[in-house]
Amino acid sequence: MLIDINNLTFAYGHKVVLHDLSLTIKPGDFVVVSGKNGSGKSTLVKCLLGINAVSNGVIFFNHEDINYFKKWTEIGYVPQKFDDFNYEFPITVSEILSVSKLHKTPEALKLKLLDDMGILENMNDSINSLSGGQIQRVFVVRAMLNHPRLLILDEPTASIDRKNVEYFRKTVNRLHAEGVTIILISHEQSLDELDYTHELHLDPNLEHTYKARPVQPPTEDIA
Amino acid sequence: MITLSFFTDLFTESFMQRAFLAGIMLGVLAPLIGSIVIIRRLSFIADTLGHFSLVGISLSLFLSYSLGNEIFADKPLFLGIFFSVVGGLLIEIFRRYYKSYKEISMPIVMSLGTAVSAMFFSLSKKTGSLYNYLFGSILTVTDYYIVVIAVTMVVVILLYLLFFRQIISVSFEEGNAKFLGINLNFFQLVFIIVLSVVVSILLEAAGVLLISSMMIIPVAAAMKVGWSFRSTTIISILFSELSVFLGLWGAYSFNIPSGATIVSVNILILIIIAFAKRARLAAAKKRSKQDALPDSRQSL
Ligand SMILES: Nc1ncnc2c1ncn2[C@@H]1O[C@H](COP(=O)(O)OP(=O)(O)O)[C@@H](O)[C@H]1O
Ligand SMILES: [Mg+2]
Repeated sequence: MLIDINNLTFAYGHKVVLHDLSLTIKPGDFVVVSGKNGSGKSTLVKCLLGINAVSNGVIFFNHEDINYFKKWTEIGYVPQKFDDFNYEFPITVSEILSVSKLHKTPEALKLKLLDDMGILENMNDSINSLSGGQIQRVFVVRAMLNHPRLLILDEPTASIDRKNVEYFRKTVNRLHAEGVTIILISHEQSLDELDYTHELHLDPNLEHTYKARPVQPPTEDIA
Repeated sequence: MITLSFFTDLFTESFMQRAFLAGIMLGVLAPLIGSIVIIRRLSFIADTLGHFSLVGISLSLFLSYSLGNEIFADKPLFLGIFFSVVGGLLIEIFRRYYKSYKEISMPIVMSLGTAVSAMFFSLSKKTGSLYNYLFGSILTVTDYYIVVIAVTMVVVILLYLLFFRQIISVSFEEGNAKFLGINLNFFQLVFIIVLSVVVSILLEAAGVLLISSMMIIPVAAAMKVGWSFRSTTIISILFSELSVFLGLWGAYSFNIPSGATIVSVNILILIIIAFAKRARLAAAKKRSKQDALPDSRQSL
C-alpha cells in the first residue's frame, strides 16, 4: 500500500504532538517508528487509521484521501492497548480468531501463526485467563490472519518475553518478504534482526527524521 | 401449594400448552439477545424499551375502550412492538446527541414512556390490566401471541446465524468493526430494532419490570461457569429454560405473576452458581496448599 503523508500536524486540544510531518511510504516498505514514550508514535498511527480525526494536513492511501478511503479490510492493526476489548465475558482464542477473520482462511495457516507466536497451546483457553503478552500475541495473529496489505503494529513486543520475540521477528520478516507493507512502532534498541527498510524517528521536541536504512553487509552466509 | 395437576394440565389444557410453548421460545430468545446486551453493556436499554413499549399497550387499550376502535383490542402487542422500536430509535438519537453521557438517553426515554403509558391507562379506565403488564402473565397468552413469538424467533435465529461473526466481533470490540468492513452505525441500528422487538415480546411473559432480568440473569450465571462463548451461550439457554419451566409451575400453583416466579428461579440459580463456584475455589485452594506442604517441609 502506498502511503502519502502531507504536512500532517496533530494536537490534542492545545497540545501539539505531531508537527508538519511529510513522508511517503512505498508498497512493500518496512518502516520502523522509533522515539521516546510520549513522542507521538501511537498518535501518528491513530491518524493513519482515521481514529484521530486529522484537521491539518492530508493523508493518502493509494492516492485516496483517507477520509474517503473504503478498503480498511486491507489493513491489519494491532493497537498498543486493548482497553477496547471486553475481557470479562468468556470467549476462547480460537473463537476470537474465527469471528474476526474476513476470508475462509485455511485452518493450517491459523495453526501455523499461533505456533509461530508460541500460543498454540492456548488456542482453547478463555481470553481472560491469558497474560498480557499472550493476549497481545493473539491480536497479532488476528491481524495477520486477514492477509493485510498493510500491517500496523504498535509496540507489539512490549510485553512479550525474549524467546517469543524471536518468533515474532521471524514472522514479521516473512510477511515483509511476501510484500506486505509494514509499519512497526518500537521504542526498543534492538532492531537489527528486523529487515526494516526505513526508520522514522519522532522527537518530543516535534522534530523528526525519516531515512532509509543504511545498506548493510548481508547477514546470511553465501554458500 | 406446589400442585402436580400442573403436569396433567400441561398435556390437556390448551392455555397451559400455549404458555409452555411461549415459555420455551422466550427461554431461548431472552438469553441469546441478553448475552449481547451484557457484552455491549446495554442492560439499561432493555429496561427502557420495556417501559416504552408499554405506551403501545396502553394506547391499544385506549383506542379500543375509549374510542371504540377494535383493531388492536385483543392484540396490544403490535403497537407494543411499534413503540418499543420507536423507543429504541429515540435512545439512539439521544445517544448520538449526548456523546459523552450516553446513558442520559435512558432516563429520558424511560420517563417519557412511563408518563405517556400512565395517561393512556387512566384514560382507557383499564388500570386493572396494568398489573399483568408490570409483572407478566404468561398463563393467559393467546394464539396470535404464539405466532408473533415464533416469527420473531425464526427471524432472530436466522440473523444470529447469518451474522454471528459480525455480531460477536463488533460486540466484543467496536473499534475493530472498521477493519472487518462492518458499518458500526448500521449494526447498532439493526441491533436496537431487534432488541426492541424481543423486549416487547418478553413483556407479556415477564412484565415491564422484569424483562431485563429474564434476558440478563441467566447469562450472568452462565458467564461464571462457561469456558467459551459457545458453552456460555448454551448454558445460559439451559438456565433460562429451567427457570421458565419452574417459573411456569410456580405461577400456576400459587397464582403469582409469571415474571415474578421466572425471575425468582433465575436469581436462585445465580446464587447457587455463585456459592458453588466459591466452594470449588476454596477446595482448589485447600488442595494446592496440601500439595505444596511436603515441598515447603523439604525446603526447610
Ligand atoms: N487521547 C489523548 N488525549 C490527550 N493527550 C493524549 C492522548 N493520547 C496521547 N496523548 C498525549 O500525546 C502525547 C503522545 O502520545 P502517544 O502518541 O501515545 O506517544 P507514544 O506512542 O510515542 O508513546 C503524549 O504526551 C500523550 O500524553
Ligand atoms: Mg504508544
